[in-house]
Order: sequence, then structure tokens, then C-alpha cells
Amino acid sequence: MEIEKGEFVLLMGPSGAGKSTLLRMLIGEEQPDEGQIFVHGRNVTKLKPSEVPYLRRKIGTVFQDFRLLSKKSVFDNVALPLVVQGVSERDIRRKVTEALRAVGVDHKKDQPPNSLSAGEQQRVCIARAIVNGPVVLLADEPTGNLDPERTGEIIELFKLINARGTTVIVATHDPQVVKQVHRRAVTLVDGVLTQERRSAERVEA
Amino acid sequence: MRRFLYIVREAWANMRTNRTTTIVAILTTAFTLACVGIFLLLYVNLRHAAGWLQEDVKIMVYLDDGVSSSLRQALEQQLKVDRMVSEVVFISKEQALKEFRAQFPADSHLLEGLGENPLPASFVVTLAPNYRSPESMQGWADRVQTMEGVAKVDYNQEWINVLTELIGYIELVAIGVGMLLSAASVTIIGNTIRLALFTRREEIEILRSIGATRTFIRIPYFIEGAVLGAFGSALSLGILRIGFELFRQQMQLTGRFSGIESMLSFFPLSLCLALIMAGMGLGLAGSVVSLLRVGEGRT
Repeated sequence: MEIEKGEFVLLMGPSGAGKSTLLRMLIGEEQPDEGQIFVHGRNVTKLKPSEVPYLRRKIGTVFQDFRLLSKKSVFDNVALPLVVQGVSERDIRRKVTEALRAVGVDHKKDQPPNSLSAGEQQRVCIARAIVNGPVVLLADEPTGNLDPERTGEIIELFKLINARGTTVIVATHDPQVVKQVHRRAVTLVDGVLTQERRSAERVEA
Repeated sequence: MRRFLYIVREAWANMRTNRTTTIVAILTTAFTLACVGIFLLLYVNLRHAAGWLQEDVKIMVYLDDGVSSSLRQALEQQLKVDRMVSEVVFISKEQALKEFRAQFPADSHLLEGLGENPLPASFVVTLAPNYRSPESMQGWADRVQTMEGVAKVDYNQEWINVLTELIGYIELVAIGVGMLLSAASVTIIGNTIRLALFTRREEIEILRSIGATRTFIRIPYFIEGAVLGAFGSALSLGILRIGFELFRQQMQLTGRFSGIESMLSFFPLSLCLALIMAGMGLGLAGSVVSLLRVGEGRT
């Protein structure tokens, strides 16, 4: 299976099909029993443990349960990937503000994540994933905790991020997402790729 | 800068989140290290005392009763030119008697019945500092013993030998107890760090997913371990100091060992700093052990 740069791919399949496992393999958290995985030209299966963090800096990840630090403000949560890399204070301010503005929660930057709605928390999680300008954005059931309206908003956000050139891979079994995204869809069952739908939806720039 | 602040803040947050555990860890470490400290303090003071005794040791060279004045002078000359000797003082029979009477006035009647003065004339010899070891002293005494006119050579070597032996034992016990209790401190701090790792496992997971290196994730826990160790060690020195002062005061009050309290000394500042550094090292070892055993998660 190959995913081109700038593509938007849906990973579909029932629970336990191996969608999350595939995403974890892409960030070097799990190793495949056989075969190889290349991300941005690098063989992930051959990376040394010390090289894995540097791969992850090129990949943004969004989780179903948001995984935000409740004791830190929205701003500090989004700034974390930059802090980890030792980015300058000035650049952190600029990039975090841009990312928060892109997802529409810049007015909540000083609040703790717990005071935000589920949809807003997911937006903060997306801001954290894109603040670094990643080449790939991985989302594992990103709409699992959201109502249909918020789901639509989040999907639109992903489309926007994809339109800016970032490859987006979304693992989901939410029919609403499938209905809303007319892009390439790959179906997994028991870890095996069973079906592939290619769609010619135009990228809305 | 923000990265540095983040790391320090995380270490501080770890300690604050598990406040009770942190306090218990510091206290337990302090008491554990204080136990080691007692032996160390005993060892330092006994060594000090041994050095002081060794410094003060005098060798008595008793002369035969019938020794002629010329032989005595020749002997004195011989001793004075000896490179191992730093000082020679002659004490005649009469002086010896006078000193005995002055020192033991209650017992002076013991000598009355003997008629003639039974105390021998002697030389009080102090050896040069380089020759004050038990072996040198023994060698010198054996040599002088064979000289003409010398009745007996005597010195308090037994005392020094007993003390040296005692110091040896205390040193062994201090090393044994020190190693055992240090291992206990490492375990205590290690467990505290493990708890901190457990409490913050979700945060560690997040950090890993956004590309934080192992070092970046681990540093706050290393800092926490080192701080716990240093605080524990500093507190143990405080406990020891208080205990030491109370002991010294008690000695002064009972008056049984008058003068000894002024000879007792606490650790010098340099040793105190070294002990705090050692505590820091133990704490660091605790966090390293903890991180190696449970890790901060998968790669």
C-alpha cells in the first residue's frame, strides 16, 4: 500500500481490524511482523530507538480521547511539541497563535482544556498536531467523542489542513465521516486490506 | 529557555503532585543517612583522637640504677643525635620522686617505707613526626633496649594499638552499614520516582507521541531524584548536628569525662558538602535504577 504526498486517506474497518495498529506502526510505536514501512522516505522499521522521536516530529497525531494535559493551558498544550524541540520563545508564540487561529480556538488560549467542550478540545488537539508543520497528520477515531455537527466541523478542518499540502490519514469506523469525505478509502479486516475506494474529489484550496 | 524552564517545572510539579511521598522519601532518606552518619562521626572522631594520642606519645627510657654519670651523658648524646628523635629530657631519680609525690600525694607514703628512692632515672623521648608509626616506635624501642645502661624502654603503645584496631572495626562497620543503608536510600528514592512515573504516565505517553527524546522525558525525574537525595542528606546532617550538640552538652554536664567534649568535632564543612553531594548521587542512582527497571514507556 502506498500513500502519496498530499493525499487524504480514510482507514476504515470494524473495531479490532488493525487501523490503530497501522497508525502506531507509522510512528514507530509498533513493529510489523513482516514487511517494511516508509514515511517521508525513511524506513520506519529500520529506525534506531533514538531516531524515532525525530520521525515523530514530522508526524502530527490526533487521538479520540484528545490527550491534553489538564494542568496546562490550551496555549501550553499546543506549544509542547515546539518546547520539546527547543524552539525559540518568539517562534513558539507565533506558531502557537497561528495554529490556534487555524482551528478557531485562539480566544481560549489561556483556559485549561477541561473547561472546553469536546469539539473545542479536539480542535486544540489538532492545533498541537499541526503546530510543527508536519508532513503527515494521523488521526485515530478523531470524531469518536463528538456529536454529528462537531464531527462535520472537524472533518472540514482536516480537509483544510490537507488542502495546505499535509498528507492526512484518518482511521475511523464512523459512517458520517465516510459519507462526508469522498476521498481514497481503505478498508481493513483482521489486519488485511480488503477493499479500496478511490475518489476523485477535488481538493478545495 | 522555555525548554529548560519546562524541565525544571516538571521536576517541581512531580514533587508537588506526590507531596506526601516526597516528604516521606526525604525523611526516610534523612534518617537512613543519619544512621550512616553516626558511624562516620564516630570514625572521624576516633581517628582524630588516635592522631592526637600518636602525636603525644612519649617513650620512657629507664636507666640502670648504677649507671655512671659519664655513661648517662654518652647515652643522652647518642639519643640526641639519633635522626628518629626530636626531643630528649632527662629526669633524675630525685626529680622522678618529686613528680610522683606531686602526682599521687595520697600514695606518697608507699615510698616512705622503702628507705632508698626506688624510682629509676630516665630519659623522656619524643620521636620525630615521621617516626611515630607503631612499627617505627617498636623498632626504635627494640634498638635502644640493647644499649648499655638502659634498664627498660616503655611506652603506651598498647593503648594506641587498641584504638587503631577499634578504628579498623568501626571503619568496617561504617562501610558495611553505609553500603546497606545507601542501598536502602536508593530503593526509597527509586520507588518515589517510580510512583511519579506512574502518576504521570499519560503525560509521558503524550510527550513520546509528539517527539520528545528519552533524555528530555527523563531529565525531570533525574532532577527529582537528585533533589530528594540532596535534601535527605542535608536533613540528615542537621539531625546529626543536633544529636552531636546534645551529646556534647550532656558530656559537659555529667563532667565525668572533663575536657573530652572540647576534643569532639563535627564534620568539617568540606565533608558536609561532600556528604550532600553523595546524597545527591544516591538520589540520582535511585532515579536511574527506577527508569531502567520500569522505563518511561516504550520507545
